[in-house]
Amino acid sequence: MIFNDFDPKEDKIFRVIDNEGKVINKNLMPDLDDETVIQAYKHMLFFRAADEMAVSYQRQGRMYTYPPCIGHEAIHAAAGMIIRDQDWLAPAFREVGIMLLKGVTMKEIFLYYMGNEEGSNFKKANHVLPISISIGSQYLHATGIGYSVKHQRKDEIVFTSIGDGGTSEGDFSEALNFAGLWKVPVIYTIQNNQYAISVPVRNQTNAVNLAIKSYGFGIPGVKVDGNDFFAMYATYKEATEYARAGKGAVLIEALTYRKGAHTTSDDPTKYRTKEEELEWAKTDPMIRLKKYMDNKGIWKENEEELIEKYKLEVDKQFEEAENMAPYKLEDVFNYMYVDMPDDLKRQKTDYEQFLTWKESKK
Amino acid sequence: MRYIFNFPDIGEGLEEGTILEWYVAKGQAVKAGQALVNMETDKVVTDIPSPKSGTIVAIYGSVGETIRVGSPLVEIEIEGVSGADAVVEAKAPLTVPIDEGGAGVVGTMELAASNALLAASDEGSSKPKAEEKTPSKVLATPLARAMARDLNIDINKLSGTGPSGRVTKEDIQKAVESKSPTVAHKKTETFTQTFSGDEVTYEPLSQIRKAIAKNMLNSKQNTAHMTLFEEVEISELMRIREKLKPKFSDKNTKLTYLPFIVKAIVQALKAHRQLNSQMDMENDRMVFKNRYNIAVAVDTPEGLVVPVIKDADRLSILQIAQKIAELSDKARDRKLSMDDMKDGTFTITNYGSIGGVFATPVINYPQAGILGIGRIVTKPIVKGDQIVVGHVLPLSLSVDHRIVDGGEASRFINQVMEYLSNPVLMLVE
Repeated sequence: MIFNDFDPKEDKIFRVIDNEGKVINKNLMPDLDDETVIQAYKHMLFFRAADEMAVSYQRQGRMYTYPPCIGHEAIHAAAGMIIRDQDWLAPAFREVGIMLLKGVTMKEIFLYYMGNEEGSNFKKANHVLPISISIGSQYLHATGIGYSVKHQRKDEIVFTSIGDGGTSEGDFSEALNFAGLWKVPVIYTIQNNQYAISVPVRNQTNAVNLAIKSYGFGIPGVKVDGNDFFAMYATYKEATEYARAGKGAVLIEALTYRKGAHTTSDDPTKYRTKEEELEWAKTDPMIRLKKYMDNKGIWKENEEELIEKYKLEVDKQFEEAENMAPYKLEDVFNYMYVDMPDDLKRQKTDYEQFLTWKESKK
Repeated sequence: MRYIFNFPDIGEGLEEGTILEWYVAKGQAVKAGQALVNMETDKVVTDIPSPKSGTIVAIYGSVGETIRVGSPLVEIEIEGVSGADAVVEAKAPLTVPIDEGGAGVVGTMELAASNALLAASDEGSSKPKAEEKTPSKVLATPLARAMARDLNIDINKLSGTGPSGRVTKEDIQKAVESKSPTVAHKKTETFTQTFSGDEVTYEPLSQIRKAIAKNMLNSKQNTAHMTLFEEVEISELMRIREKLKPKFSDKNTKLTYLPFIVKAIVQALKAHRQLNSQMDMENDRMVFKNRYNIAVAVDTPEGLVVPVIKDADRLSILQIAQKIAELSDKARDRKLSMDDMKDGTFTITNYGSIGGVFATPVINYPQAGILGIGRIVTKPIVKGDQIVVGHVLPLSLSVDHRIVDGGEASRFINQVMEYLSNPVLMLVE
């Protein structure tokens, strides 16, 4: 079992292919046919194209702040290909790939980053929570949902994810403590992309790695090469089997690198070096999977054409989002509670007064 | 169809950005998503991509200029919809930035002073909380805030009667009615003169003009200017230049006097480091520069720009000539980058190429010296005991007298003159 063989106490890391795409751990290579591998790569191509387009739209002033996902594609593709329709996803904000494979559309993602509440109303995605911007709260939601599905004896498990910085939040510990105690069917991922905005991991914890924190909560943990699609796939596969068998939660530290900025308001050149970026570039998840396919000679598509096709699709969805009717004032107040509490009602009245006054000034 | 692309707020409440580099020029075809310009903002340095495919018909602002959020960056003639005269403006910026501080990681949150309580249990209670001291920023409803701005009332000076001391619409109205001293209608007194009819034409300040005005005033207010004038006979230099001209034109370079002057200055600066320095009174120290980066003022139709010949001490006269040609071409084509214009340590202004003999050049602050080069004049000079025809180059040197004493300035200019009257010396020393 991966979770036993790669003990975070010894700071072991689970990896299946190296940077040249060569299989270095045949025993644990997941049993995937070529078609599935090619599909995984296509998913990753789409994620990256969509991500680049999103940053571009933001720079064109057509969308608000966006947190780029570039570099995280292998984690997203692996989780997204394993999560089932009935399973739950409690996402943070750097998880567009998993969300897409769960059935969320780019149009909805764009609406979200345009400030439209419709961007949290995922019409075709089952059991996906709205994006959690506040750091860490999604872990608590996941624990709660896990407790609920366990109580109801449903064949559902929960996926959630946090960044390396998020592990310093109280929410992280609170969620995992009860996860261990209640043995909830939840897959907790730490997307360790080396930076919490500008704070490097070494300034985040004195622990040898982040997976080792699983010991404190009495759940299995493993550190995985998050830029290795096969390692991520094998880990998620084993984790879901464990959770579905009623054994409880697991903690996965997926080691990756945030190739982009924290958000479009951030400039990473201010706190990290070009040399470091180039060093990590060698581990790029897409380059590695591509090399694996090339070694096997199974990639025969025209990549440029595919990217162009994906970009057109993304652009179409963006324009649909851009041309939606503007959202109404009520939307800001409406969806949090079934019955609107008094203080929210008062805020709404205040704002309506403001709008009336503004209208009268025209 | 004409599409006007306004500089968007790309960083959660930005007000402006500075152009670092243009990637496109007027008349060029662009695709949606293609980078137009590299901009520096408070948050990031980034490329701004085009929102539309089409042809660039106008670009606004040159390198170094500051563009306000919401002001036009480029105009694009959109393919396929030409003919129609309709002009489409980019959608109003997504946000109207109002700087109230408190920019968050992913948004902006309302900040209150630490003693402005926001106890959940008090929500909805009408009893005002007693405040111990005036908070630096009060809580207020959006309506109250907007009204206060509109009526020019400092909302932070009001004590609110709403929950947790929140300032309400009623509080603002009361403040207006009582004409309390918190209502400020102060206007800065400025010299104003009214002109009638067609006596004058008003023109808004361009960003580059604004920058020039600011820099000049800054220099005059923060340094102690002192200027001295000299004349140097350069017949020998003229002979050398005539002799070398063909050699340089073989290499497609026009040889002017400027490269010789740059070389002479660099060598004189090495002996007189005060001239290659800056005053840092805030930290009680002087800053001596170990690099010799010579800035050259260039006159362009848009205004004065000052590109820099970096590490001129490591360049031959030919290389200096080539660098000057490259920088002036860039200046004329408005292609100068921020990098081309920074880190200068001493400046030359060659107004003589247009006309003028002497001047009192304004120091390129915070540098310590600037040398003005006048027009070469042919006039009688005394050589030995004879009056002969001389070719005289007028020099005007301004220094920051806080760091450069008069004697030092004279010794520096003497050395420059020595090199120019006897250029072979530059090789020897």
